[in-house]
Amino acid sequence: MEVTALLLQGIFTAFEPLNLGLLIFGCLVGLFVGAMPGLGSVNGVAILIPITFIVPPTAAIIFLAAVYYGAMYGGAISSVMLGIPGASTAVATVFDGRPLAVKGEAMTALTAAAVGSFVGGTVSVILFTLFAPPLAEVALRFNAPETFALMVMAFATFVGLGGDDIPKTVFSILIGLALSTIGLDLITGKPRLIFFGMPGFLHGINFLVLAIGIYGIGEMLWTLEETKGKVQMSKLSVNMKEVGKALGALKKTFLAMNIGSFLGFFVGILPAAGATPASLMSYGITKQLSKNSSEFGHGAVAGVVAPETANNSASTGSMLPMLTLGIPGSPTTAILLGGMILWGLTPGPLLFTQEPEFVWGLIGSLYIANFFTLVLNIALIPAFLMVLRIPFAILAPVIFVLCVTGGYAPTQSLHDVWLMLLFGFGGYVLRKLDYPVAPAVLSIVLGPLAENALRQSLILSDGSMGIFFDFTAKPIAAVIMYIAIVLVLMPAFGPIYRKLFKKA
Amino acid sequence: MSLVSKFTVKKAEITVAVILALSSLALMIKSMENRITWNTEENMGAGFLPFYLSLGMLICCVLVIINFFLKRTPQSKDESPFIDPEAFKFVSVTLISLIVLVFAIGYLGIYFSLIFFLAFYLRYFSEKSVLFITLFSLITPVLTFLFFEWLLKIPLPQGISEPLFYPVYDFMY
Amino acid sequence: MTLIKKISLVLVSLSLVAVSSVSSAKPFEPKKPIELIIPAGQGGGADEIARLVQGVIEKNDYASKPVIPINKQGGSGGEAMTYVKKKAGDEHTLMITLNNVLTTPTNQPELGIDFFNDFTPLARLITDTFLVWIATEGKNTQGVETFDDFIALAKQGNLVAGGTGSMSEDELLLGMMRGQFGFDAKYVPYSGGGAVAKGLVGGESDFTLNNPSEQMGFYQSGDSKALVMMTPERNSAFPEVPSSYELGYPDLEYYMMRAFMAPAGIDAEVEKYYTGLLHTVYSDNEFQTFNIDDGKLMSWLEGFGLKDFLAIEYEKHAEIIKNFN
Repeated sequence: MEVTALLLQGIFTAFEPLNLGLLIFGCLVGLFVGAMPGLGSVNGVAILIPITFIVPPTAAIIFLAAVYYGAMYGGAISSVMLGIPGASTAVATVFDGRPLAVKGEAMTALTAAAVGSFVGGTVSVILFTLFAPPLAEVALRFNAPETFALMVMAFATFVGLGGDDIPKTVFSILIGLALSTIGLDLITGKPRLIFFGMPGFLHGINFLVLAIGIYGIGEMLWTLEETKGKVQMSKLSVNMKEVGKALGALKKTFLAMNIGSFLGFFVGILPAAGATPASLMSYGITKQLSKNSSEFGHGAVAGVVAPETANNSASTGSMLPMLTLGIPGSPTTAILLGGMILWGLTPGPLLFTQEPEFVWGLIGSLYIANFFTLVLNIALIPAFLMVLRIPFAILAPVIFVLCVTGGYAPTQSLHDVWLMLLFGFGGYVLRKLDYPVAPAVLSIVLGPLAENALRQSLILSDGSMGIFFDFTAKPIAAVIMYIAIVLVLMPAFGPIYRKLFKKA
Repeated sequence: MSLVSKFTVKKAEITVAVILALSSLALMIKSMENRITWNTEENMGAGFLPFYLSLGMLICCVLVIINFFLKRTPQSKDESPFIDPEAFKFVSVTLISLIVLVFAIGYLGIYFSLIFFLAFYLRYFSEKSVLFITLFSLITPVLTFLFFEWLLKIPLPQGISEPLFYPVYDFMY
Repeated sequence: MTLIKKISLVLVSLSLVAVSSVSSAKPFEPKKPIELIIPAGQGGGADEIARLVQGVIEKNDYASKPVIPINKQGGSGGEAMTYVKKKAGDEHTLMITLNNVLTTPTNQPELGIDFFNDFTPLARLITDTFLVWIATEGKNTQGVETFDDFIALAKQGNLVAGGTGSMSEDELLLGMMRGQFGFDAKYVPYSGGGAVAKGLVGGESDFTLNNPSEQMGFYQSGDSKALVMMTPERNSAFPEVPSSYELGYPDLEYYMMRAFMAPAGIDAEVEKYYTGLLHTVYSDNEFQTFNIDDGKLMSWLEGFGLKDFLAIEYEKHAEIIKNFN
C-alpha cells in the first residue's frame, strides 16, 4: 500500500539524528511550557518559531509539533499538582485531577493523564494517516452554520458541569459569555463595552486572564483560608506499586479513552475548534454516559482520562486542516501555519503531493513524539511530585509570581494583571457562595467562536434561525443541532426516567 | 475581628447577589451604546447579545435574591461567618500585598517589585531563616528574568529600573 | 603642500571631529530588545511580514539586540496605536502598519489618535495587492471566466462576499466597487484571511477580495481563480491574471501598505538607525525573493516621499469611509 511506504519513509525521516534530537528536545520544552500556568502550546510555539530559521523545514516542523504535543501532556501537570490549568486545553483536567491530588492520589492522576494522552495521540495519528485526504473534504464543508451547531453542542455538554443551584450555574455561563463580547465586534467592526474608555478592553478579555485569576489567585486565597497558611500539602511516595495501582484504575476508563480519542480527533479537524472544546466536550459526554457520573468532580480517574485523551487527539487532528487546507484548526496551528509560510512552503491541497518528505516526516514524527513524551512524562513524575512537597507558605508566593507573569505575558499589558486580580477575588467570593466557576471559564473560551458563527450564519440566511435546522440545505448542521438539543434535555429527563424506572 | 465574625454567609449571599444584580444592570445600560435591536436589514446589532446576556444575568440574580428570601438555598440560612475570622488575616494580607505588588510593577518594574513582595510574604507567612528568605527573594526574580527575557524573549515591565538592565542586555546579545 | 596648509588641514579635521562628537556623540545603537508591535492577530498578513522581518534580522545579525514581535490586535489597530502613542520618545518600539492605521483614527475618534503627529513614519517596504477571487467550482459563479462576466452576474443577483471583518480594507474596497459598478452583495466577515479563503472554496461565499498570499494554496491547486488584479500592471506571480488598467478600470486600484513607524518624539539619529536597519532587511535576498514569489510589490519609500504618500492615503481613506457611511 502506498500509504504504508510513505509512512515508513516518514518514520525513517523522523529518526535522522537532527530530527530525533530536536524531537526529544521539543517534547521536553513542551512539557515544561505546558506545565507553566499561563503558558500553553500557543506561547511555546510562537516563541520558538524564530529559532527554527536555522534548520530545514522538516526539522523545524518536527520540533514545533513536538513542543505542541509535549505541551498537551504538560498542561495536565499543573492542573493536577497546582489546580491551575497550564493551558486552556487542560481546564477540564482540573475538575477531577485536582480532587485526586488532594486525596493523595496525584500519582494516579498523572499516570492516567499520561497514558490517556498517549492513547489519544496514537489513535488520532493512526486516523490521521488513514483518512487524511478524505477528511480534508469534511473539514471544507464546515462553514458557519455547522460551526455554530457544534458550539451549541459543546455548550449542551456543559449543562451537566454546574452545581445544584440552577440560577447560579446559568449566571456563571452568562457572565462568561458576556465577558467574551468585550472588545471589537467582528461583524460590525465597532468596539463594544469599553469600560471607562480604557484601551486595555479593546483586545477583549483573554480567557487566560479569567482562568489564571480564578484557578490561580482565587484558588490560592481559598486554600490559604482553608489551611490558615500553616498546613503543608500531603506527602506522596513514588514507587512502582503506585504506578501499578494507577494502571489498574485505567482499565475501567475504556469508555473515556474511546470517547476522548475519536471525539477529540473529529473536533480537532474542524476549523477553529481545536483542543479546548474537544477536551471539554469529551469530559461532559463521558460524565453523562458514565455509570458513576456522581463521582465526576470528586476525583474520578475517567474524568482525567477523558479530557487528556481528547486534547492530544485533537491537537493531532487540528494539524490536518492546517496541512491540507491551510486553515488552522486551533490557535497553535495558526502559528505553525505562519511558520510554514515563512519556511517557504504553501499549505494547501497540493502540499501532500509537492512536499511528501515534509508531510510524512511530520506524521512519522508524531508516532515517535508520542512514545517519547509518554516515557519522559512518566520518568519526570517524581520531579513534578516535588512540587507537592514544597511548604505552602513558599509555594503560594511562587504561584503568585507565576500568575502575575502569566497574566502579563500573553498581551503584554498590566491592565490584564489588574483584571486577573479582580477575577481572582471575585472568583474566590463567588465560589464560597456556591456559584460554579468552571462554566464561566468555558463560556469565555467558546463565546467568540459561537457568536461569530451565529452572526455569519444569520447574514447568510437573512436573519432566519431556520438555517440551523434545514436537513436538505445544511444536513451536517441540522444533525449536530438536534443532537445538541437531545443533550440539553438528557439531564432534565434523567431524573424523570429514573423515577419511572424505579417505580415500575 | 468582631466585624469579620458578624459578616455571616447569609449577609454575604444577599450582598453579593445585590451587587451582581446592579452590575448586570450597569452592563445592560453599557450595551445600549451599540445597537441592541434585531432588524431585518442587518439582523443583530453589536449590542444585541451583550444586552440580552446581561438581562439573563439580572434575571438569575433576581432568582437568587428570591431564593434567599424564601430561604431555599443553604446560604440563605447559614449564620456562620463568611470568612473564618482566624483566616481573615491570611486572605486580606495576601490580597493587599498582591495589590501593592501590581502597583509597584507599574512603577519600579517587575523584578525589583518581586524582591520586595517575596521578602515580605515569606517573612510574614513562613518560619524560614532570614538567609533563606534573602536568597529566595533574590534568586526567584533572577530566574524569572532568565526564563522570560533570555529563554522566551518576552519582555516584562521594568518601569524606572529599565536603564539598569542595559548592561545585562549588552552582555546577553 | 605647504606647512600652513598642512596645519590648517589638521585643524579642520580636528575641529570636525570635535563638532561631530559634540552634536551627536555616537550613532544610535539599541540598548535593549526592540518591541515590534503588530496591530493585528497572529497568522495574518501583517503578522507574517513582521515575523519575516524579525527572522531576517535574527538570522543575519542585522541588529545588536533581538526584535520581539508583539500582537496587539484589539480594536482594529486602535489598541496598538494607543500603545505606541503612549510610548512617545521610546527608542525601542516599532510598529508595522496595515491599512487599519489609516482608517481607525477616523472610525474611532474617541481614541484621540492624531495620525500625523503621534507617530514617526520610518519606511514603507512592501505594498500588497488585491485580487477578485472566485471558486473554480463555485455553484453561483458557474461560467464566469472574466471580470466583466462577473460584474454582469453580480448586477443580476445577490452574491455573497467573504471578508476579513467590518470596516476592514476589503469591505471598504467592496464599497468602492459597489459604487463604481452598481451591484449589491452581502458581506460576511470572517476572523482572518485564511478563513475567508476557505469560506470561498467551501462554497459559503461566492467571491472574495483577498491578498495573494491568503489564496495562494487554493490558487496553486486550482480550487480558486483570480479575475483581476487591482494594479496598473500584471504581476509575475499571477501571469495570466489581467490588471484592472488592462481591462479599462483604472479607478480600480487599491493596495495594502506594509510600512513601519516609530513613536513620536524620537531623535533623528534613532530614526536614521531604524530606517537603515529596515533598508538592510529590504535589500536582503531572502526577503526580496519571498515577497516577490508571493505576488507582493517591493516598494521602498522613506522620508518626505513617505510622508506625502501617507497624507494622500489618509485623506483617500477618510473619503472612502465618508462615502461608505
